[in-house]
Amino acid sequence: MKFVDEFRDAALGRVLAGEILGAVEPGRHLKIMEVCGGHTHAIYKYGIDDLLPTNVELVHGPGCPVCVIPMGRVDDGIAIAREPGVILTCFGDMMRVPGSNGTLLEAKAQGADVRMVYSPLDALRIAKAEPDREVVFFAIGFETTAPSTALTLKRAKAEGVANFSCFCNHVTIVPPLRALLDSPDLRLDGFIGPGHVSTVVGARPLEFIPADYGKPVVVSGFEPVDILQSVLMILRQLDEGRCEVENQYKRVVPYEGNLRALEVMSEVFALRPHFEWRGLGFISHSGLRLSDAYADLDAELRFAVPGVRVADPKACQCGEVLKGVIKPYECKVFGSACTPERPIGTCMVSSEGACAAYYNYGRFAREREVV
Amino acid sequence: MNAVSCHCITCGDDGVPMRVLRIDDTRGLALCESGDGQHESVEIALVAPVVPGDTLLVHAGTALAHLDGAVA
Repeated sequence: MKFVDEFRDAALGRVLAGEILGAVEPGRHLKIMEVCGGHTHAIYKYGIDDLLPTNVELVHGPGCPVCVIPMGRVDDGIAIAREPGVILTCFGDMMRVPGSNGTLLEAKAQGADVRMVYSPLDALRIAKAEPDREVVFFAIGFETTAPSTALTLKRAKAEGVANFSCFCNHVTIVPPLRALLDSPDLRLDGFIGPGHVSTVVGARPLEFIPADYGKPVVVSGFEPVDILQSVLMILRQLDEGRCEVENQYKRVVPYEGNLRALEVMSEVFALRPHFEWRGLGFISHSGLRLSDAYADLDAELRFAVPGVRVADPKACQCGEVLKGVIKPYECKVFGSACTPERPIGTCMVSSEGACAAYYNYGRFAREREVV
Repeated sequence: MNAVSCHCITCGDDGVPMRVLRIDDTRGLALCESGDGQHESVEIALVAPVVPGDTLLVHAGTALAHLDGAVA
């Protein structure tokens, strides 16, 4: 397909890999974080990691929305699903995320009406088709899926669909990045910036990374050639002593973002004072709730939600994986007690989770081959 | 979704390029086709105006951007 095939060109990929090899300073170990789960998935699907010199290490960031959902919020979703007359709708991966007492899929097996949808608009359609039931959409995701939820809520309000509501778990990307940069655990040399989040918010919100922390950022597309070119652009910034936000993904990302999307999000959502992230703890102003104008569609106000904080399982090291402190295979339960079929931690649930990406593409090797 | 499929529909960042086939102006939706032939009704409020033949980046049923051919 146009805009896809040309960015999977193997010959071009090899040329870029050669240029990367020439651009990296021998003896210097560089750590580059890819923020998005979509990038993590592409890196392992296409074996990009193996094309890089061994002293260029890709560190996986917190950009998978399923992976950062804390157990307590899953429990809250299950509690809503068990309310009489409720149909809880969610994206497929959310159904397999473990709470403290099982998953939404298990709740469904026990009689709760939990249905997978591909978009919030599908959830609204169910609400209109079943006016005698309460239909709740379990909303998750960064600024990529938040506009979709916002537009659906606007439609629900305009059409007066009173039996529709939203359990909002949307999060924003900048606060966790700042938290990671403030973390003493992690030393990073640059960032592969989030491509589709930047389509919505623009590249400008990432300018604090070079300005406040002195790290280069390259907003990147998701095909192999995109990612290799982005790595090369970061290496060139480092080599030339530059430090700025560059946009490799100009074919999609306008530097100022999508102003209509930002407008609809600011109408429908408001920032929560704090939101809990799996493995990262509470981060200020990092989560979205429904704005006061949309409070009548807020499932947290419509239903009794326990709202109890639940600690992650002791064996699970998702938090360290999400912060890039350890590689997935360094987790004690990776590939043994925790697999995509029976995940303990969220990073093994979603295909964008670092653990699932390693597991599904056979990345059990402890060492990369030297290029 | 299964564990090894290419796209994560919840994504953080896995948009799908789709081609516009038909537009329903009254509902603000477009019937779009993905590269593997899947059809989907897509919300186009954030990228309007849209005409058949356009390629859009779609996330969770909502088009976020035109893929206009300007390459990196």
